[in-house]
Amino acid sequence: MPRESVLEAGPVADIGAMAASPYLPEAARVLSVRSLTAMERLFDLEFADGRALGHAPGQFVQVSLLGIGECPISICSSPTRPQRFQLCIRKAGVVTAALHALRGGDMVGIRGPLGRGFDVSELHGKDVLIVAGGLGLAPARSLIQYVIDERARFGAFHLLYGAKHPSELLFREDLHAWRDDPAVDFHMTVDRPDEGWRGRVGVVTTLFRELPPLDPQRTVVAVIGPPVMFKFVLLEVLARRIPQGRVYCSLERRMKCGVGKCGHCQANDVYVCQEGPVFTYGRLKALREAIE
Amino acid sequence: MLDAIISTRELLGRVDELLRTQRVIGPVRRDVPDATPPVRWFYEPVSSARQLDLGFAYCVYSPKQYLLPPRETLLEFHRTPDGFSARPVSDAQPTALIGVHPCDLHALVTLDRAFSHNGDDEHYQARRRRLLIVGVDCGKPCTPGVYCADMRANVADEGFDVMLQPLGAGADVERFGVRFGSPRGRAWLEAGGGCERPTAADERAADAWQERKEASFGRTLTTAHEDLPAMMARSYDSLIWEATARRCYSCGSCNLVCPTCYCFDVHDELDLSLQEGRRCREWDGCQLQDFALVAGGHNFRSKAAARLRHRLMRKSKWIGERTGGKGCVGCARCDRACTARISTVEIYNQLAEEV
Amino acid sequence: MKPRIAIFSLTSCEGCSLAILELENELLDLLGAVEIVNFREGMTERSWDIDVGFVDGAVSTPEDEREVTRYRACCKTLVAIGACACLGGVNTLKNRQEMESYRTYVYGERARWFPTTDARPISAVVKVDYELPGCPMNNREFLRLVKCLLAGVPFALPNYAVCVECKKAGNLCLYERGQMCLGPVTRAGCNAICPHYGSKCEACRGLLGAEALAAARLNMREIWKVDEERVLADLRLYGAYQGDGSKP
Repeated sequence: MPRESVLEAGPVADIGAMAASPYLPEAARVLSVRSLTAMERLFDLEFADGRALGHAPGQFVQVSLLGIGECPISICSSPTRPQRFQLCIRKAGVVTAALHALRGGDMVGIRGPLGRGFDVSELHGKDVLIVAGGLGLAPARSLIQYVIDERARFGAFHLLYGAKHPSELLFREDLHAWRDDPAVDFHMTVDRPDEGWRGRVGVVTTLFRELPPLDPQRTVVAVIGPPVMFKFVLLEVLARRIPQGRVYCSLERRMKCGVGKCGHCQANDVYVCQEGPVFTYGRLKALREAIE
Repeated sequence: MLDAIISTRELLGRVDELLRTQRVIGPVRRDVPDATPPVRWFYEPVSSARQLDLGFAYCVYSPKQYLLPPRETLLEFHRTPDGFSARPVSDAQPTALIGVHPCDLHALVTLDRAFSHNGDDEHYQARRRRLLIVGVDCGKPCTPGVYCADMRANVADEGFDVMLQPLGAGADVERFGVRFGSPRGRAWLEAGGGCERPTAADERAADAWQERKEASFGRTLTTAHEDLPAMMARSYDSLIWEATARRCYSCGSCNLVCPTCYCFDVHDELDLSLQEGRRCREWDGCQLQDFALVAGGHNFRSKAAARLRHRLMRKSKWIGERTGGKGCVGCARCDRACTARISTVEIYNQLAEEV
Repeated sequence: MKPRIAIFSLTSCEGCSLAILELENELLDLLGAVEIVNFREGMTERSWDIDVGFVDGAVSTPEDEREVTRYRACCKTLVAIGACACLGGVNTLKNRQEMESYRTYVYGERARWFPTTDARPISAVVKVDYELPGCPMNNREFLRLVKCLLAGVPFALPNYAVCVECKKAGNLCLYERGQMCLGPVTRAGCNAICPHYGSKCEACRGLLGAEALAAARLNMREIWKVDEERVLADLRLYGAYQGDGSKP
């Protein structure tokens, strides 16, 4: 039922301030900017009022540069490290190009956290397999950090990462740390090596050979990467009889309003900014536009 | 059951009373000599109740622009060397919408639901709270080609503060049967002292009027209303989408005239100083080429066929499933606006033949 | 340092240059933000040290060709303004006739004093960084581009049809008034000013794309039963230039 109308009498109003708006960004300070690759930079941020972002791994924020625009960016740090939050931003459009020009001390607008991330309580007590491709490592990293920080809550932890080229590898310090961490079963590969590359060569699915047999009853899987990667990784996962409800995927769409109104992020009937960006494969497979 | 009877003269007096304190919007007749028929109606602000034409056929555009303007400012901001300040703004003003047919009342309910579903959109709600809605019933299909009855949208039981039912026949209706949809509507109409208690004869006249109305609506849609979502679900891979898309310009006219389309785009504007600016939203449409384009260049609906399917799925299935509001009210504005003469109801019927 | 701006005119009515002067409410702010250093319609001084050059008019003579090459060399950013500079515009009507016949028609015995070529958009001769089409260009869109240049962000034209702006303006569609308006196939950005005042769109901002044009051919034949050629003749008013030397 529509709400009861309450006529607010008074003179004809000119444009005036409102008490609240879902579109109002909050000021956040850029603490530091680091170059990860030629295309991606890592931003450390904190809210001007010092509060924690309070997100779940897999959620995103809308980043604003007033006068230029707003764009959706996944959070790439874990809520277990609440002093600041991190965004890995690829230079892809007008707003992200302008964001790349920022330096420590600059201010941005933040709306969020938005969307539905990983329900980590569903993951507790399980073996975890995370498969990340390309820029997908950024949202995946919020979950990776969470698992590492709360390691005792999880069983085995397998992490597979594939990039196109060694020059596109993100978070190099983390990659080294994960490789040296006995609590992480980490494997990575590149599609095309360069001269200095000593690691594996091949698409990310080739890394499944490195994994021990998975226990379908106690394994959860998160697949995060470009659309072209989904199908092939899903085949590997489903072939290992992991139930569809325990395979999670994160979708990329054009989130604009972030609050389920503007329609831009819709995949079929689903507003990705509301129901996603993290979906179980069981849900995702009904969304033809999500997997085609 | 009628709540009251009011004469046309008293009703217009109540509207003139509203005009002392607020904006009044209603159907205004415009002569268009080169059109057939040579007259159209538009929802426009009036300065006197006499300018309203409550016997109008249909308004070219729905009243959605008074709740979701084609363009509105969401934020005003100021950029400084060390940051920014921003504040949400609204130019919402008290407004009375007088003369809304049942189809458009249903569409306003759809908008209400969309902008309160999963959290309020304050900018929409600021306008909605200040809006008094007075419906007026239509006695017959307003123009050939409408399929409001097929969509169960030719009769409205909600979405209004006051609903008026013309009693008697002819262009110069002298009395209206009244139903109140809110205490506020009742308070407004009764305040003039001109409302009468309906007699048994009034009730009979109203019932007879309603029966004549029901009988005047034929059916255009070959699928029953309740079967439409399931039929559409089966039609996802139909060739009809691509075939129809060959004629589609992707001009978005169908979206923009649709009373239940509410998608929008957001963009920033700066003054030449580059310090003061505004964040604005503007009507957008899922039929436009770049609607699902993401930064980096991938377009999730690059083909007109996929966009056409998306629109009709929203209209016939998804909006209803998501919010319970009607995705389509059968007003046929999309069909009239399409210069390629693509007809939504014709597509439904073609699909139904297939599946 | 304020950006140094120049406004040049080739073969045209120079109406697009004048449209800048018609920005009466913003002109002072504009002059506060940029320095105009070369503008025949507005000043006598001339400088050739230019950040952004705006050019209206088509390349229609050997002299135009030399001029636009010089503009390109002197301007860091070159912007084509108006239908003539962006599409060739009405000047291209002459491309459909024999050169000697129109030269003689216009200049009579003195035709040989006035060398001429096919009319072309300036992008056919030099690299163009931005285009602001329209006859005349929309000066609000000009301001938007200037602000983008000042803020250092990319500028893009609307990639949708005139119908979008026409509907937002609340106009009655001209098809309901029996006119074959070109709005559905024409790039928006003009706020549908012609349909708003009751005249059909004549595509002065250029066509949207091949898909819409293919739809138009089908619809003209099958839906409206009108002569495709007649409607295409309307398209040629501004858009006759094909880029491949063909006579459309």
